[in-house]
Order: sequence, then C-alpha cells, then structure tokens
Amino acid sequence: MQSVSGKAGNFEVTVSQAPRYIDTDLCIACGICAEKCPKGVVDYYNAGLSKRKAAYLPYPQAVPLKYVIDAKNCIYFQKRGRCKACQEFCPTGAVNFEDEAQVRRIRVGAMILCPGFVPYDPLKRDTFSYGRHPNVVTSLEFERILSSCGPYQGHMVRPSDQKEPRRIAWLQCVGSRDSHHGANGYCSTVCCTYAIKQAVIAKEHSTAPLDAAIFYIDVRTQGKDFERYYMRAKDEEGVRFVRSKISSVMPVEETESLLIRYTDAAGKRIQEEYDMVVLSVGLGVRKDTVSLAEKLGIELDQYNFAATSSFQPVETSSPGIYVCGAFQAPKDIPYSVMQAGAAACAAGARLAEARGTLVQEKPRVPERIVAGEPPRVGVFVCNCGKNIGGIVRVSEVAAFAKTLPYVAYVEENLFSCAQDTQGKITEVIKEQGLNRVVVAACSPGTHEPLFQETLIRAGLNKYLFEMANIRNQCSWVHSNDPDAATEKAKGLVRMAVAKAVRLAPLEEVKVDVTQAGLVIGGGLAGMTAALGLADQGFQVHLVEKEKALGGHGRKLLKTWKGENIGAFLKEVVQRIEEHPLVSVHLESTVVEAEGFVGSFRSRIKRGEEAEVVEHGTTIIALGAHQLRPSEYHFGTHPDIFVSLELDSAIATDSERFKEANAAVFIQCVGSREPQRPYCSKVCCTHSIQSALRLKELNPDMEIYILFRDIRTYGQREEIYKEARSKGIAFIRYSLEEKPQVDVTGNKLRVTVTDQMLQMRVQIDADIITLASAIVPTEDSRLVSGFYKLAMNEDGFFQEAHAKLRPVDFSTDGVYMAGLAHGPKPVEESIAQGQAAAARSVSLLAAKTIYTSAVVAYTSSAYCSECGVCIEICPFGAASIDNKTGKAQVNPAQCKGCGLCVASCRSGALNLKGFDQAQTFAMIDEALAS
Amino acid sequence: MNNWEPRIIAFLCEWCSYAAADLAGVNRLAYPSNIRVVRIPCTGRMSTKFILDALRHGADAIWVSG
Repeated sequence: MQSVSGKAGNFEVTVSQAPRYIDTDLCIACGICAEKCPKGVVDYYNAGLSKRKAAYLPYPQAVPLKYVIDAKNCIYFQKRGRCKACQEFCPTGAVNFEDEAQVRRIRVGAMILCPGFVPYDPLKRDTFSYGRHPNVVTSLEFERILSSCGPYQGHMVRPSDQKEPRRIAWLQCVGSRDSHHGANGYCSTVCCTYAIKQAVIAKEHSTAPLDAAIFYIDVRTQGKDFERYYMRAKDEEGVRFVRSKISSVMPVEETESLLIRYTDAAGKRIQEEYDMVVLSVGLGVRKDTVSLAEKLGIELDQYNFAATSSFQPVETSSPGIYVCGAFQAPKDIPYSVMQAGAAACAAGARLAEARGTLVQEKPRVPERIVAGEPPRVGVFVCNCGKNIGGIVRVSEVAAFAKTLPYVAYVEENLFSCAQDTQGKITEVIKEQGLNRVVVAACSPGTHEPLFQETLIRAGLNKYLFEMANIRNQCSWVHSNDPDAATEKAKGLVRMAVAKAVRLAPLEEVKVDVTQAGLVIGGGLAGMTAALGLADQGFQVHLVEKEKALGGHGRKLLKTWKGENIGAFLKEVVQRIEEHPLVSVHLESTVVEAEGFVGSFRSRIKRGEEAEVVEHGTTIIALGAHQLRPSEYHFGTHPDIFVSLELDSAIATDSERFKEANAAVFIQCVGSREPQRPYCSKVCCTHSIQSALRLKELNPDMEIYILFRDIRTYGQREEIYKEARSKGIAFIRYSLEEKPQVDVTGNKLRVTVTDQMLQMRVQIDADIITLASAIVPTEDSRLVSGFYKLAMNEDGFFQEAHAKLRPVDFSTDGVYMAGLAHGPKPVEESIAQGQAAAARSVSLLAAKTIYTSAVVAYTSSAYCSECGVCIEICPFGAASIDNKTGKAQVNPAQCKGCGLCVASCRSGALNLKGFDQAQTFAMIDEALAS
Repeated sequence: MNNWEPRIIAFLCEWCSYAAADLAGVNRLAYPSNIRVVRIPCTGRMSTKFILDALRHGADAIWVSG
C-alpha cells in the first residue's frame, strides 16, 4: 500500500503490485522454469533451511498455484539480459521479463489490516547459542523440519548431520515475558501450545523413542481444549515438562549436541545434554507494519500492536480502518479467525448501504435435457505441454479411449485448460451432441470447476463431467517409467469413462433465505451479535431468559485494561432497545424449533404466551456460569467469595475491605481437575485485577494468590508484573497438594504447600476468594436438541473446525458466540459475537442459496426404518417422514459425506455423484486388465 | 513370484488424502504405478461393499485414507 486518501466510507487506496514476470493466466504450474533455472536461492519459506530457485513456487499449496520470478536473485535481472532459461523452456510462453509493477487506485469504504507478525529473532540474545550452532533452531524452523514439504521431507532430523535426535529440548518464553533489551515484556500467548504440539509430533515422527522436554515458567494452555491436549502430551505421550530458568545453552563439540544449564523449580542447578534445542520464539510486530500504521495514522500501543479497546476489539483509532490477527495482539489461529469475522462485521456495518451495488449477474445458458439419450462421451486428453505428453504417450491413450464403450468423440489437446481450447471444447460438445465429458489432465482438485464451467457454457449440466487424473497422480509421479505411466493413464481414463457413462444431471437445491436472524442469549456476546446483524440491515429477534439484558456483564466491574464494563453495557443495551430492527424478547426461552439453514421456525415462550418466529440463521449465545464450589467451605462463611461475588461486594460496600488485613485467592477451583479438565481462561487475570483493587483500597493488606500456573496471556502479563511489584505474593501449589481452608468460629485459615520453597505455609485470612470454574448452562443442552448442535465432553458447544471455523456449527446456518462456546474474556466474547454476525450475514445477504447437488437420497421402498442414518448424520439432515415412517434426507442440510449411505444396511440410501453403481464401475474397470 | 506386484485400490477422501496425492505430484515424489485411486467425497462414504467388490475383482490390497 503506497498511500491513502479520503475518509471512512470513501477511501482511495494506491496499491503497487510487484511484477511476478510470469503471466498467471498462462502459467500451468508445471515447474519447468524452476527445474531449468540455474540459480539457487535460500528458501525463506523453509526458514532458510533449504534452497529453491530464482524461478519458484512460493510454497507447494500456494494459491494461485503459479510460479514467480525472484528478480533480486534472477541472473537475467542481475546480469543484464543473460540466461533466460525459464523463458526458453516454458511450454506456454508465460515468462515475461518486461513485466512491470502495476499501480492501482482502489476505492473502498473500509479497510482491514491483517499484516501478521514477525517471530522474535533470537540472534539478539547470546544465551542460547542460536546462530552459532546449527542444532539450535527456532520453533518456526522446527515447524518446517517437521513438514513433509520442508527441508528434510518431514524426516525429523537435526541440521548439523541430518541424524535423528534422541533428545530434544524446547525452551519457552524466548523473547517473551522478558525484560531484557530487545525482548518483549508480554506473553506471546501461543508458544506453550505450539511447543507441546511440536513435541507430540516429533515423538510421532521419531523412529526410536524420543525424549522431549519442555522447559517453562508457566504452562499457558488457556485456549479451548488446549489443557486437555497438555495433559495428554504429559500423561500419555510422555512429554516432560520442566519448570525452570535457563542459564545457558552451550555447544558440545564432539557430539554436536548442546549442554543446557538451568535452575529447576526447587532452586537446584542442573545441566543436561540434548541433541537439539528448539527456541519457542514469541510474536512481534513487523517493522513494515509500523510504517503502514504511520501512513494510515492509526495509534499503536507500547509494543507497536494496534491500539484497540476491549469493547471494540477490531477497531483502530482511525474510523473505517479495522484490524485482526496478531497485529492486534499475539494470538492463536482460532481467535485470529474470529477477529477476521469481527472485522468483516464491523466493516460490513459501515458498508451496509452499498451492499450488492457492484454485483454483476452471469448470463445463463439454457440447459439441454439429456434424459433418455444414450450416453455419448467425449474424451479430451491433455498433454499439458510436456508435463503429461513428455512421459505418457498421449496419442496412445487417446486411441485407447476411442475403443471404450459409449465414447463418441476423442481429442488430444496441448493444453485442455487454455482459453481457446475451452472455446473449442464448448463447440465440440454442441456439434457432436455429447452428453458426458471426460477430461484426462491435471487434477479435479484444481481444474474441475473450470471444466464444469465449460459444460455449463455448452448447455450441459455440470455434473455430467468426470476427470481422469493423469498428471498429478500419474505422469508427475511415474516419470521414470513412461510405459507404466501410459498404461496407468489408460486405466484411469477407462475408470473415468465407466463412471461418466453412469452420471446423471444433478440439481442444486435452491433455498429462499428468511431475511432475519435469531439470537439466543442477551449477554455481551448475544447483544453484540444482534447489533452486528441489525446494523447491516437485518431483522433480529433477541431472546433473553432474564428480566434484563446484559448477562455477566452486569456483575463485572472493569476489563483488565481498566475499561468500565457497566458504562459500556448501558450504552449497548440502549442501542439494542432503540434499534428499529431488533425485537427483544425478555423473560423468554426458545422451546421448540424446526427447519434448516435459511428457513428456521422457532417457538419463543414468555410465561404462558408463545410466539413463532421465522429466521434464516440462528446465533447461540447462551453464556455460562461461575461454578458454586462444594469445597473450601464455600457458602458457610460470609468472607469466602467466588470471583464475581467479590466484584459485587466491592462495588456495593468497598469500606468493608479497607479493614481487612489479609486476603487469599485460590486459583483453579474446579478447573484443570480430572472432573473438569479445562482451563477457565479468565480467572488468573480476574484474581490479579481483584487483588490490585484490594491493594488500592488498603495498601497495607497482605494478599496471596495461590496458583498452579499463572496464565496472564498476551499483555495481561503487565498486570501480573504490576501485582508482583506491589508486593502481592504468588504461591504455587500442586493439584496433588491442594490448599486447605479451615474455618474456626469466625476465623479463616489457609494452609498451603509452597512448591517453590517446598514448605507448608499458613495464612490467617480475612477474605478468601475462590477463582472457580466457568461451567456451561443446562440451557445449552436443551437448545442443542432443538437445532441439532454438537457439544464437547465438557458441555460447551462444538465448533465445526477448532481452528478454521471457530464460530460455525457443523449444522449450517447456526453460529455460536461467547461463553457457551468456551471460557473467554469480554473482548473475545465481543469479537466472537461480531464474527457470528458476519457469518450469519453472509447467508442472509444472499437471499437465495444453492446447496450442493452431491447429496444423499433414499429409496423408501428399501427402507427398514431402523433409524441408523438419523443417528449417524452429523448434520441433522436425515429424519423420519412422519407420514410414511421412512427415512428421508433434507438436501439443504446434507453435506454429501455419505456416512448414512455406507451405514444403511438395507441399501435404501445412495449418494448423488458418488453412487454405488458408479463406484462399482470404477473399481471393476480399475481391475479389469 | 519374484516379479509379482500387488494391485492396489486406494479410496481417498477428496479433501485430504486425494489432495495429498496431488501434492505428491507437485513435489514429484515418485512411487510405483500399481495403484488406482478412487476419489470419494469423504471416508464416511466408504462402504464395506467397495472393499468386497475390489477384492472380488482381484485387488490384492485396499487402502482407505481420509
């Protein structure tokens, strides 16, 4: 981005696009340019551990899958006109050395910044021998070592001698939670979990038993399900966790190994030798991001992250400019994806009026009806330049195709995907009256949609198409044996033709979307989601069980940044109440629901009255509760609180706390225990906030926080530091030796074994606060039944994909936000509420949606009414037809996975596009020779 | 039996293993050609009937991956 002018709603952005010297329209990603390029270059994608060429594919999964020339290293550019090998050998003439940077002016109403992060560079520190010894690597380098596309094809070996290490050490907090010059004071949030993941995968990849040890200060696995993963790594996989402080990492010359000197939890000095050391480096802001921020005039915080408030977690200081991902704060994938949704929601609200104004409708070619015609298959065999033709004898394959039943036409192409060939294929389909098409070429993974478009242009149903993968899965992998490759290509064409003959036109189901959303739960997450929908112009029903909106927000005092939650809540409630598109249903619950994506009907009950609302999408924001513990004498003494009650007590009568001499906080009450093996995420920060508040009320108060790991992730680390500097005592206890609370008359005494001092400590306390777990509500279970929603073993809602779809249910059209999905602080609940709204709007805005045609269907005559399909369907698409008693599948909900089909013992179910006869035909042809 | 090569039918989920097989091609990782891939939409679709059918038609090994 070069410059920007204008303001929110009407920016003009000048963008310079670097020349890539390869025409992406012509490049077929055959890789000949890279093969012929004589110039080796350090491959930054593989963290500098391997080499690539100056003509290269950025990485194997690159989208678009197109090559690029690195001009800084290309001989042609560096030596003025020599070489040109890539241009000479490129089969499609895609190389263009005259390519120039394109400057574009783009008019936009909003901008979203997601420039990512830079890993901490441990060269800045000499403690770890990084840069001086090849077997000390960063976590990012180790990630590449583990990857099958990495420098060692996924073999877990160390760089110095490429031998498999027997002992690996991970050192945590490298460049994070570190006040040294050049390091960062904050916690990078993600390193504990990624180190555990790497240790587990390293053990899996290792051919002999591997000793994997993680050296840490606190294990911070506060993300959803991460604690369970930590426990599994420790108890089942045998990853060792060593609480320690590292003094030095020194090379051992003879063995090329490394000697780690450290101080353990009990203060003992130890040294151990490891074959390899992985530095868990933290996340920082890139330098060019800082200059981008300067150009845009957005405020940065002390660490150069984009300054945001907890209440507008994706809004920068500049109107119309939003932020998501690690530039806002260090974070993991799920929360980055949530923030991406949140930013889309915030930008969408600003652009609501302009929605759809730039849409252009594609002209539709009427579809020819082929029913009743005998199959006339056209086979197009591609040479892909030399990619296929250089190995597979394509003419032989084409001649063979002519001998196959129902094949009416065969053609050999130099490039089947080229635009002019596409035009020709369209004409041939019409001229020859073809009603099935087989293309033998690269892969359906990349090219099926393109060829299907060709069919549509020729007036054929796009499902009358089948591809034979004779490049990626044939010529490219059997280049050493052209005969075998040719035979296999023939076999693949025969299989494809056999399937094509049995294909039928399929219809995509059209669903009209009811232009309204239902949000269940009126806490911060639910209200945010409701406003997200309403601000983008959609009707919303917001259902809240209680007499007032607000949820837990009504009890909380301040965010960890010190923002006043009550004041914000008041503002949000007022906006909700005044918004013409939001209908609030207080003291109401959903008692029944039916329908599916785009078309739900839910019954909302208030007292004796019931109302049925129709809605296209549903957002579940049911919240959760703080556990009322049954231990530590909770409920028997007025001075034993849970965290939320302490907040309320301070808010209503702060005087009472000025007299107190000693306060004790006990962490992990009911969390991270066998019966509830998850971390409640917010409690460490909450207790430290409360402790600081008490300290403010009475600076002489002695305050003790009894903890197992302090999980003040991200910049919350700052308040942990503040607490320690103000004399708040942190005492580590272990799950095996939990603290003990004794109530004698009016007196409270806490006894705990300090893990560091290995000593029993007794504290006479005036106040005890139990940081008890966040537990799901019973309502979650009820509602999950209405909309057929999955829950995890802890009773929280299960997202469709833990990393990439953190607000979606597997059931289409239903989204989640807030505590019902898992414990999280205010800003994350708000971001998730916005993300749920964004996901919801993407459906509502479509007005009509077409679902996939590859769906299961029943032949009810065969159905024995056993109900297995209904039980097994993960999407709630199968049900019993009330009239006939037979199974039925709703095509709008079906994802075409085929589970029900494979499970049906009566053969009543089948899958369109992958049916039994088609698959049998392919298997039979594969083996018929 | 010295030259005997098994005939292998692979049922690959189009979202993961089939894509991985494509990626093996992108990386030019060579492997023997006596394998035929049947693309399935998800291993959920995998029916024992397919395995029996392949064995009945002379497959020596079946590989299901997803």
